Amino acid sequence: MIGRILVIARNTLLEAVRQKVLNVLLLFGLVMIAASSYFSQVAIDQQIKFVKDFGCGAIGLIGVCIAILSVAQLLPQELHNRTIYTILAKPVRRSEFLLGKFVGVVLLLTLSVALMSIAFAAVLWWQETQGLAAVQADYVHTPGWGKSPELTNMYQHDVAQIVNQVRDPQMVEAILLIFAKLVMAAAMAMLVSTFSTSFIFTVITTCGIYLIGHMESAARDVWLSHGAQATFGQGLFLEMLSLLVPDMNSFTIVDEILDGNVVPWWHTWNLLGYSAVYTGVLLALSELIFEFREI
Amino acid sequence: MDSPVFAAETLGLTKRYPLAWKRRVVVALNKLDLQVRPGEVFGLLGPNGSGKSTTIKLLLGLIRPNEGEARIFGLGPDDLEARRRIGFLPENPYFYGFLTGDETLQFFGKLCGLRGAKLTARINELIDLVSLQNGRERPLRSYSKGMLQRIGLAQAMIHDPDLLFLDEPTAGVDPQGSAQIRDLILRLKKMGKTVIFSSHLLEQVQEVADRVAIFSLGRKVLEGSLDDLLTEKEATLVSVPGELTDARRDELERLLAQSGFTGANVQFSRPRLSLEQLYLRTVEAERQP
Ligand SMILES: Nc1ncnc2c1ncn2[C@@H]1O[C@H](COP(=O)(O)OP(=O)(O)OP(=O)(O)O)[C@@H](O)[C@H]1O
Ligand SMILES: [Mg+2]
Repeated sequence: MIGRILVIARNTLLEAVRQKVLNVLLLFGLVMIAASSYFSQVAIDQQIKFVKDFGCGAIGLIGVCIAILSVAQLLPQELHNRTIYTILAKPVRRSEFLLGKFVGVVLLLTLSVALMSIAFAAVLWWQETQGLAAVQADYVHTPGWGKSPELTNMYQHDVAQIVNQVRDPQMVEAILLIFAKLVMAAAMAMLVSTFSTSFIFTVITTCGIYLIGHMESAARDVWLSHGAQATFGQGLFLEMLSLLVPDMNSFTIVDEILDGNVVPWWHTWNLLGYSAVYTGVLLALSELIFEFREI
Repeated sequence: MDSPVFAAETLGLTKRYPLAWKRRVVVALNKLDLQVRPGEVFGLLGPNGSGKSTTIKLLLGLIRPNEGEARIFGLGPDDLEARRRIGFLPENPYFYGFLTGDETLQFFGKLCGLRGAKLTARINELIDLVSLQNGRERPLRSYSKGMLQRIGLAQAMIHDPDLLFLDEPTAGVDPQGSAQIRDLILRLKKMGKTVIFSSHLLEQVQEVADRVAIFSLGRKVLEGSLDDLLTEKEATLVSVPGELTDARRDELERLLAQSGFTGANVQFSRPRLSLEQLYLRTVEAERQP
């Protein structure tokens, strides 16, 4: 069973890689990340923060495009080309087929995020070199350089600040969280595509759900802050919503990380666990619908 | 019967498709009862849209019936054990255009649980069998229609199934290729495999099928062995060796009138309809009322 799922997953990844559209999207992401360092800021720490924001933003944005678009075209293409008939005529269960497809997309996302992260790391490293060179140039021309230990201390402090900002281990958390978010988006698209009849419908509906997921907690905040208590109707609505739509807003702690605040690992693990559970639920629902769907 | 279990069997199998925009339904298949014995070559005939492909897809469990049931070797079509024993060539086969011929067979072989040297050997064997040496390294998107049909056949046989469903196996294949496919079906039959196929090429069906069923508008309107169906029971054909001159014919008629037709050279056989004649007759009769 695992074997068949992996065969289908591998094939899905191969298809995505050989389809140049996604490559172009990925290239676009890499260019975006690389280009971020050309928007110069006055202060070095601001410049580095900008590159980080931009890089994570690009990974998230391109990633979500890859996730939703590649899932949305999976089933329509299989159905249209009738390739699904040949596969399901083999000793392959429908659930294995769907899961294989999903794992393929997750592999694709892993590959994309990894590539973009490498580009991201390279740009950050370059920023660090630039920053350090600038700091050194500053201090070398300061009178008293090399003689005053105070100045040396200041210099070392500045260098450490840049290095710490660039080599923030919390960036790993940030990337992991972004990845979890992408996997959830893919699972949402998968669920929608099992009852959707067209690519466009899947894309638009999934984007809608994704956005609602981001606004969910905002609605909660607004309603709860006004009259202390939400009305019964509002409360019910929020409960339903949070059951149906994952709360994407909790992923804004990525912004905290980017702001340089400490986000403990347990918080990250919690969120990763949350998205794993949600992904599982979405997939189980997809399997259920797909099992009874007319193909 | 020789074997109690049918290779494929349907009981009152019915499939309706709703036409959403018109509140009507298409009855694609109407209460089909069909029994195919192991080792038989069974032909499904009928005009376009008469339910041949629907029958095959129902037997494969690709679509689900509204009524009735389909069985493969006594098992439900969703049963993986049943699926292990069947191979399928869909009509107008279309595979992943980005895979080469070899990769396609590897993919389907692995789905069937084949691996390593065994799979490689099987692929070589099948490539030879369907004469697709020139397509091994090429992506399927560059294949011609007939080449797709050939890779489709190879794919259907990769796990050496006992029962093959071939939906229009010769569509789009050149004459040489369709002769090869005919020979292949005959070879499969010799190996004891069961083949259920649909085709519009009646001459070919006549050459390979043991039994046929003719469909019209979702109903099976005729079924039987070709020997039974194509033998005219109301007449007898007299055949004699050599050329028959007018004089000799008169003589023969006189002789026959006296009904003294003995002698080793005089042979009697029954004239046969061609399958084409039978088919047209059946389908026309269906259209009348
Ligand atoms: N997915 C579908 N939705 C609606 N109607 C369908 C669908 N699939 C098949 N049909 C209808 O079912 C009927 C039988 O179709 P089927 O494909 O079995 O015909 P066929 O005998 O294989 O014809 P052909 O010789 O053209 O291949 C047709 O009227 C067809 O329009
Ligand atoms: Mg057909």
